[in-house]
Amino acid sequence: MSLMTMIVKMSEGLGKTCAIFFLTLLFSLPLGMLVALLRMSRLKAVSAVTRFFITVLRGTPLMLQLLAVTYGPYYLFGAGVARNKLIPVVIAFAVNYAAYFAEIYRGGIESISVGQYEAAAVLGYSRAQTFLRIILPQVVKRIMPSVTNEVVTLVKDTSIAFTVSYQEMFTIGKQIANSETSFVPFLVAGVFYYLFNAIVDAVMGRIEKRLDYYR
Amino acid sequence: MADEIFAAAEGGAPSILGIRNLRKSFGTLDVLRDISLSVERGNVVSVIGPSGSGKSTLLRCATFLERAEGGDILYDGQYALRDGVFAPKQELNRFRTKFGLVFQNFQLFPHYTVLRNVSEAPLLHGEDREEVRERALSLLKKMGLAGKEDAYPYQLSGGQQQRVAIARALAMRPEILFFDEPTSALDPELTGEVLKVIRQLAEEKMTMVVVTHEMPFARAVSSRVIFMADGVIVEQGGPREVFDDPKEERTRQFLRVFER
Repeated sequence: MSLMTMIVKMSEGLGKTCAIFFLTLLFSLPLGMLVALLRMSRLKAVSAVTRFFITVLRGTPLMLQLLAVTYGPYYLFGAGVARNKLIPVVIAFAVNYAAYFAEIYRGGIESISVGQYEAAAVLGYSRAQTFLRIILPQVVKRIMPSVTNEVVTLVKDTSIAFTVSYQEMFTIGKQIANSETSFVPFLVAGVFYYLFNAIVDAVMGRIEKRLDYYR
Repeated sequence: MADEIFAAAEGGAPSILGIRNLRKSFGTLDVLRDISLSVERGNVVSVIGPSGSGKSTLLRCATFLERAEGGDILYDGQYALRDGVFAPKQELNRFRTKFGLVFQNFQLFPHYTVLRNVSEAPLLHGEDREEVRERALSLLKKMGLAGKEDAYPYQLSGGQQQRVAIARALAMRPEILFFDEPTSALDPELTGEVLKVIRQLAEEKMTMVVVTHEMPFARAVSSRVIFMADGVIVEQGGPREVFDDPKEERTRQFLRVFER
């Protein structure tokens, strides 16, 4: 198989790679905020349970979580395995990334000085107004570098979907590598990921720059 | 005794602020022990005393940032805190519109322009946009900050930031304004400009309670000076009484440090 054919075949999987990437972000970014708020709940039980789930999600491999979400229903309840693997893949990825984002959000929220809450309270801002107008915008700016880190990692982690044979770019590359006994598809995959992340870096850099109007 | 304090000065109108037997502790440390005081409209009350005496905690209790354990806080003769229990949330919100607080370290909102810092709170209270804008601009002008509307806090000096914070508090048209060591976080050469605007407000008969270490300032602007130490009011009176002829040894001791 020529290099060109490999590239063409593998790019056919890029759409699915992008689907994992964007859908994971779409769900995990807001879900992470919910988890962060639960984690910071004043109710000890809520906070403790949330904390436990976060340690599980961060303390076990994403690959294992992906296998559990995809095949768990079959082994546990004899239910069928989802025909469209994108569903379990996005569920596993979104939940896993939400745990990481939650901790990033929490760090950001806790880094805002108590004085900001107090200033808002004295001026009569409600709790929701204080959070949405005063705290959150400052949190977003502070956590951008950490979020960029996660997003870059996510690009590469999409390759983990090969464990459940979801036909994204890396899975196709791996199949070609096996059938052709060639290492070249892996090099092609490496270049694809690198370029993807170059775009991610550029986009995140622009967002950070747009938040640069204050200190 | 407490009742005498609360019998109002003129015509039986209640004091804008009344505090009775206020108690507050952090763990085993009693920060406020039985504080009683009242503030009449148009008065400027300075609170002085060594650090750790409870001055800031007193302001924080009066503005509901700390929960006092016992005593009463009244605004306009109405209970905000009664026997250490706060009024319902709705009522507290109503009381909050009566006072403003200026913090030691400004606490401006860094992501807002100067104008938005000053005008957002009244807007959230449903006031008319044009009216709020006019008021904010005129307050900024009064604070010597004309032309700074579109600047962000980080672009301003500490003294300018504190004046924005004063404008922000005034934009809510409070009946009483609290200052918690408004110049302590400033470089010495910048304290003058902040004290000047507070003095100007005093001349306009703005009711104010100022926790401060600036003794000449306290002497010049105050209608009454309260000296606190170890969570109690040791002595209070007119500025001349307290500064020139203190009755208590503890007060003399404290003031001596400033004469050096």
